[in-house]
Amino acid sequence: MPDVYTGDWYEAVKEAINLAVAKIPNAPTDSFTIQVEIVGDGSSPYVPDDGVLKFLIRLEGGLCAWYREIEDDDPTVKLDYRFTGPATVFDEIAAAAADPIDAALSGAIKVRGDMRFLMRQAEMVQVLLEAYSQGVDTTWPKGRPPYEG
Amino acid sequence: MTLKDTYDAIIIGAGHNGLTLGAYLARSGLDVIVLERRHEEGGGLCSEEVTRAGFVHNMHANYHTFVDMAPPVADLDVRGHGIEYVRPEVQMASIFDDGTALTVHTDQEKTLASMARFNEEDAATFKRLYDEAHGFVDLLLGTLMYQPPLNVKELTKALGTFGVEDRSEFLSVKLRRETINQFLDRHFKDERIKAHLAFHGAVCSYTNDVQGLAIGYPLLVGKIDNWHLCLGGSHRLAHALWRDLAQHGGVMWSDAEVTSVIVDGNRAVGVRTADGIELKARKLVASTVSVEQTFLEFIEPSALSEEFTQDVKSKVAHKDWSLFSVHLAMNAFPDYIASEFDPDVNRAWVVNLGVDSPQRLNDDWVKIRKGQLVDPQPNAAVNSLYDPTDAPPGFSTGLLRQFAPFALADGGEGAWDDLGRWYGRKCIDAWRRYAPNLTDDTILDWSVFTPHDIARKLPNMVKGDWMMGEISLANMLDQRPLPELGQYRTPVEGLYMAGSTQHPHGFITFGPGYNALQVIADDLGIDKWWQQI
Repeated sequence: MPDVYTGDWYEAVKEAINLAVAKIPNAPTDSFTIQVEIVGDGSSPYVPDDGVLKFLIRLEGGLCAWYREIEDDDPTVKLDYRFTGPATVFDEIAAAAADPIDAALSGAIKVRGDMRFLMRQAEMVQVLLEAYSQGVDTTWPKGRPPYEG
Repeated sequence: MTLKDTYDAIIIGAGHNGLTLGAYLARSGLDVIVLERRHEEGGGLCSEEVTRAGFVHNMHANYHTFVDMAPPVADLDVRGHGIEYVRPEVQMASIFDDGTALTVHTDQEKTLASMARFNEEDAATFKRLYDEAHGFVDLLLGTLMYQPPLNVKELTKALGTFGVEDRSEFLSVKLRRETINQFLDRHFKDERIKAHLAFHGAVCSYTNDVQGLAIGYPLLVGKIDNWHLCLGGSHRLAHALWRDLAQHGGVMWSDAEVTSVIVDGNRAVGVRTADGIELKARKLVASTVSVEQTFLEFIEPSALSEEFTQDVKSKVAHKDWSLFSVHLAMNAFPDYIASEFDPDVNRAWVVNLGVDSPQRLNDDWVKIRKGQLVDPQPNAAVNSLYDPTDAPPGFSTGLLRQFAPFALADGGEGAWDDLGRWYGRKCIDAWRRYAPNLTDDTILDWSVFTPHDIARKLPNMVKGDWMMGEISLANMLDQRPLPELGQYRTPVEGLYMAGSTQHPHGFITFGPGYNALQVIADDLGIDKWWQQI
């Protein structure tokens, strides 16, 4: 089982996404790039209080083509979506202890980008989020969310 | 200013949508001209000294509820162009005939405390509704307001897939079959709280008895405390947009009444003005005026199909009520009797007077739709409470707004010219019942602006339709104003609709101009520099 936010974990997430999407009949062929920004909030032991963990995910035809962590925004990459939220929320989602749709609906995670596509492809979005949230059995060496206090 | 023969983009109408579209296109490097029939830019952003010199009255748009939610405010650096917004601490109040009052504050705790005096359970419900709505307001704005519209079926299908109904106490697919009254009845108990919330919907043009409008109500609650006042008058926003347009090489030409859109083949290639000047458009013509003006007046019938022309004539739906306004110059602020119950009511920017239940509003709508005048229960805005610049020191402005028919059953819209002062006096008398200090000694002057005046001053607001199209489920999203026009394109190539006739609707949303921009950018291959994801 990989530790969260390690190379093995990213690889496992990629695999989970691709396995899940492969089961969607008529998966959309669109390609898009997502930047995830996990903001340290003082509770998550995995992201420093004053830090932001950023990674890019490139989806092509629903499948994860590549991913990479970045230090700063990469001006050469044209983003289609940006998901931003506190580390505790993201950690809980990765641990399947929180629901990503709830997090978006409640405003805990801010979503920027073409919302029409997300609405039109709701089924695929649902599958991707489930794969992210529930598809990887993660180890939590510094403690598993939800965190106390 | 020297006019050129040809521009990349010609925009008809210098309201906030036309100026917004023009400014973005100018920033994108296009050669832009915005043509305005009136002597000044702004359209509904119209501030005038109609009572006495030094008293600035917003003739039309007074409430700016999408400030800092609408992308153009930041993209076009609206504040950098010299305008200042204030968000009044006491946003709105309702005063009831039993002497009580409910106040909505920017501080949620204060709003809840006010509601709890009427019903604690309702206050708790409102908190849950507000918190939920406030949470998803960003998502809803991104999905529903600042994108070319989805189809309502696509939307409801997505909501179903995401299981929103199971996740939310208030959002539900069945809201599209419900009135705001039904929504409020299901969730709230106290008639006065329901009246306040229904009135809030109505002021936002969401009539509380119209089936289907419950679908939009949670969004209205999500921004119930985001009402902003543009210091110095709403017209300053128009100036700010014009400055942005001009700084990026665009031109706004006033006193330029477009009489025709020139169509060559099936393509819009320019416009002709009332004084005979022809301007050519290399890339596009965008109309921000009414559907009727654009397609029945500006374009030769032979350039359009008979079916489309018939749709414009028969299917474009307008609001079935309008607004009657009284503008006042005063030397005092209202001192409400209800301030004994809640002192904050004297600091409320907008006060709804004497609507004790949604039923009272329902009864009014029935009469108004029949062309009858109702006993006035206006809402009263005192901008000077929060804008010290809109009146001389020691003085204040007032704005009374009363829901009213456009055409009166007895005499049609023309009857307003005879009845306006009489009805204005009745509105003032209604205000005085709640604020007795507003005597003839404190009200120095007043002027009325009738539904007929709206249509005369701003003819794009057909039949005094201040939202430039009915607010109903049948006229929402991609169905507004007609399915053929729902994505801002028109049957004439190179001609776009970009005004409040389009999704989302009227009000100072910037939405129609911004959304038309997205479509135009797609069609012309313009880099969307404004989409900073």
